[in-house]
Order: sequence, then structure tokens, then C-alpha cells
Amino acid sequence: MIMNRRSLLTTALTLGAMKAFPGLSYAQARPLVFATFTGSWEEAHKAVLVPAFRKANADAAMVLDPMLSVDQIAKVNAAKSNPPIDVMLHDPGPALVAIGQDLVEPYPVEKSAYYKDLIAEAQEPMGPAPFFQVVGLTYNPEAVKTPPTSWADLWKPEFKGRVGITNLNSTLGTGWLVEIAKMRGGSEANVDPGFKALEELKPNLAAVAANPGALATLFQQGQIDISPGNFNAIQILKARGVPVEFVAPKEGAIAFKTTIHIVKNSPNRELAFKLIEAALTPEVQTTLMNPPYLIVPTNSRVTMGGEIARVLAKDTAELKKKFVFQDWKKINEQRSAWIERFNREIKI
Amino acid sequence: MGAAPASRDVTSYGMGLAAPLALFFLVFFVAPLLQLLWLSLHNDTVGLHWGLGQYLHFLTDPFSLGVLGSTLLLGAEVTAVCLVLGFPIAWLYQRVGPKLQTIIILIVLLPLLTSVVVRTFAWIVILGRQGIINATLQSLGIIDTPLKLLYTQFGVVIALAQVQMPLMTLPLITALGRIDPNLDDASCSLGAGSWRTFFRIVLPLSLPGVIAGCTLTYAAAITAFITQSLIGGGQMLFMPMYLYQQASTLQNWPFAAAISIIFLLAVLAVVSVFTTIGRMSRGYGDA
Repeated sequence: MIMNRRSLLTTALTLGAMKAFPGLSYAQARPLVFATFTGSWEEAHKAVLVPAFRKANADAAMVLDPMLSVDQIAKVNAAKSNPPIDVMLHDPGPALVAIGQDLVEPYPVEKSAYYKDLIAEAQEPMGPAPFFQVVGLTYNPEAVKTPPTSWADLWKPEFKGRVGITNLNSTLGTGWLVEIAKMRGGSEANVDPGFKALEELKPNLAAVAANPGALATLFQQGQIDISPGNFNAIQILKARGVPVEFVAPKEGAIAFKTTIHIVKNSPNRELAFKLIEAALTPEVQTTLMNPPYLIVPTNSRVTMGGEIARVLAKDTAELKKKFVFQDWKKINEQRSAWIERFNREIKI
Repeated sequence: MGAAPASRDVTSYGMGLAAPLALFFLVFFVAPLLQLLWLSLHNDTVGLHWGLGQYLHFLTDPFSLGVLGSTLLLGAEVTAVCLVLGFPIAWLYQRVGPKLQTIIILIVLLPLLTSVVVRTFAWIVILGRQGIINATLQSLGIIDTPLKLLYTQFGVVIALAQVQMPLMTLPLITALGRIDPNLDDASCSLGAGSWRTFFRIVLPLSLPGVIAGCTLTYAAAITAFITQSLIGGGQMLFMPMYLYQQASTLQNWPFAAAISIIFLLAVLAVVSVFTTIGRMSRGYGDA
């Protein structure tokens, strides 16, 4: 065998590349991959869901790969026949995109032991909702002495220059605008009244944050005193000693279903199903409902307790009464036009 | 082959050593860029119908052009602030003892050692309603109600100027260091005042550093997604956020690709203006 410089270099490069990208050389059986969200979701799933799943499934290997919904969709789209993710977690908007692009499998409802116990709104045949996210009014109790009771309170003259909102990039921003539109006679198909209301809100607006996370930090800085906010994000701030409180407005708190899906063509279909089953169990949902996680459960067998019972709902019956679910299929149809309109019209 | 091998041409260098990096660039930079261009030339989001629709949409839409304009203007403002504030520091650096030099270089480099996110959050604390600036002004009785500094163009410019300052100061320090100090003395002994010496001698000779610093600062300022969105907020739209919105939230990849290509060309145009000035100044500096 003749060893010249070129072949030596080629070999070295190949070896180097195989070392750097192990996935290049062998596509073998891989552990179950669950793409959860980053931040507090990842913490909660690492601490509660993963151990529960592994205990029930003989220590099956699994990996948490936290990323945003849009990234999950992009990654699965890039390799539909051999997806790098087995289980996806989605907000309502992206969930419909994933279903629309044929990236997820129907959930094997008849095989599931827990699906029928979920409250009706959480029973989604393309992927059930193990958790709810809840959006209500957030305020600084040191500056706002009488707790707000309605979305309409944001327009009160006393909050001139004290209100914060987010733009429509987030589920929170879009869902809130739809709710405002509904309050003024609009609907998911007609948000015109919502935009008119936003126009009237301008004198009160102190900030339009780029995302819900940035909005939450504005309370810390005293930049805003009142805003629509995510229940869980507020609990995290509260735990850090920031003076914030959450109330469900009398029009109803906006509830987003966080749905969990088996990815189409997943090589770990059975384990993916088992993981989702684990997320639906009353045990896991109860642990996640307690501090520090405070995640709203969807299994009707979970007895509500703690902060969730105090602020949101004592049981599923009350939960159904106090929560508003939105039609995201309708919302998605026009969302890009709304984002464009928001870009143009909302300048403060 | 022929007879004796020709003696090596000492004025040319082999490019072999640059090959690994070139290959890396080709695979991970040029190829994706071409893919981006390919995607931007489609009229539908799935990428089936060819056409210039995305570009037409952008270039005929006053709103989109406004976003591009305000982004380029933001870069110019930040670059101007960095130049005006950075030049004296670089000038000072060349005229102090080694101990002070170490301190100056440490101060200049220190921001680079912390993450942009941390530096930006510090600015939120400084500029906020109950931030350092407002608290100080209020306690001195200069203002009654807090000034709105956060979520304004002013706030974005100031924060970006601080965040990007090292990119301006470091090339300036190098350029000023290359100037022979005797030229200053010569100019003075020939009767020029210190301002005249500065404008006729120091500034022209430091132009290569000014150009390099401006190019780096400008490019970094207009693409600084984190600082722009955290200090500017959700209603001040600059190109990086516009791009993110279209690509990530709306999944409109062809339009996002067209935005990036247009943004890239606009930046290249500005940078080439800088380099042209640099080329012109080179003749001046040698004279």
C-alpha cells in the first residue's frame, strides 16, 4: 500500500470528521428523544416526568432535547423519514402547523389508560394536552392597591404609562389580542375591535416587549405595573421575591393547551406512547401541580391544591367555567396578517 | 517533465494552508448562502414556484423599506457615537505610561469578557424607570417624573455603543500606535497648533484604523438582535427582528430569505463605501 501525503490527509480528515460528528458513521438505534421547551419546562420534566417514565419502563434510555416549537418543526421537517425527535411538545398555534404538515401521528386513544380521564378540552386525538398554560392579569401589588378584575381595567386612566404588553410573535400576545377583540364584540375571525382597543390603549402603554420573558422582567425594573401575563412565569418571579400577583379576569383566564405528540415515522413509537402516558398520569400531574412547578393539570382525577386552587380553580368544574379556550385553527388563518398590522400600527 | 525545475517564485505563496478553512467556509457558509438565495427566489412558502415576488414585495412596501432604513440609520448613529467616544481613549492610550496603558486596555477589553446578554440586562437596569439614571436625576430634583429611556431609539443607541465599543477602540489603538510620534513634534516645531496637527497629521494617518473600526462597529450594531430587541422592545422593529418574525413565527421562509439577502446587500454596500474611503485615504497617508 502506497502511503502518500494526499491519502494520509484524506484518512486523517475522515477520522477527524467521524470523531466530530459521530452521527455520520452509524445510524443506529437511538434513545427516545423528547423535545420539551427550554427553561422551567425542562427543569420540571427532568425532575418529574423523566424519572416517572423510566421507573415505569425498566429504565429505558431517553434524552431531553429542549427547543422552541418552531425549531422542533423545522428539525422534523428536514428529516421526515428518519426524524431526530420522537415526542414533540407544542403550543396551540405550532401544534396545528405540525399536524397540517403531516409531522405527527394520531394518538392511539384506544390503547391509552388515561386519555378518557382528561377533561374534554384536553382530549385531542392528534396529541393530548398534558398541561394547560393560563394567561390572566399580572400586577404589582405595591403600586396597584385595588386588584384588577377585568381586562378592561388596563384602559383605566390611572394606569397611564404603566401597562405592558407583548407583540404578536408570542402565543400570549396573539391570544390576548383575540380576547380583547372578543370583549369588544369581535371573534377569532374578526380582531378589528381588538386593534381599535389597542389604539385606545396607547396612552397607557409603557412597553411593548419582544417576548413574554422580557415582559416579566419589566416588573422587576418597575417599568410597568400591570400587564397580561402567564401564570407560570409569574410564579417564578414571585418565588424570587418580585412583587407580582396574578388574577384571573372575570371574562375568564385564557387557557392554552400544551399538547404532546408522537412524531410520524419515529423509530421509538412504543416508548414515545409510554412517555406521553406517563405525562397524563394523575401522579405526575399532581407532582407538577405542587410547588415549585405549579403546572395546571388536565387529568380530571387530580385534586386541585395549593396556589392553583387559590388563584385559578378548585376543581375541573370551576376550571371549565373560568377558563376560555380559543379556536387556534381560525387564529392561524389570519395570524400573519395581524402580525403585519401590529408591526405597522403599534408605535409608541 | 522538463529539464531542471525552475527556481521557486519567491513573490508568490502557496494557498495550501488556507485550504482547510476555505473548505470549511465553502461547506458551512457559501453553500447555505446559496441555498438562502435559492429559497428567496420562490413566490410560495413551500418553494415550488420560481419568481421575484418576495423581492418585489419588500422593495415596493414602504413599511419594509422603513425598517431597512431605520436599521441602517441606527448603525450610523452607533458608529458615530463609538468613534467620537473611542478616539480620545485610543489617543490617550498612546500617550500614557505602561501602567496606565494596562489599565486602559483592561477597561476596553472588559466588556468583551462578559456576555452580550448580561451587558444588555445591565443597561435595562440603568435605563429603567427606577434605574440609576432616573433615580439620580430625581434625587437631585432635576426631573419630577421619570424619563422614558428604555424602549427608545436613544436607549438602543447608547446601549449598543457601549456593547460594541471595543470593536472601535482596538483598531484605533493599533492604528495610532503605528504613527511615528516624531511627526507630532515636527508639526509643532514647524508652527502648527495642536488642533491643526490633529486634523492634518494624526487623523489622516489613523484613517485605516478609523475605517476598520467603523466597519466592525457598524456591522455588529445593525445585526445585534439581542440588544436591539431587549432595549428597543417589541414595537421598534429592526431588520434582525423582522427577519426572525418572518422566519420563526410566521414560517414564511422565502420572504425571510429575501429579507436576509437584501439586508446582506445593503450592508455590503455600506461596507464598500467605507473601504472606498479607506483606499482613497491610503494615498493621502503615504504622501
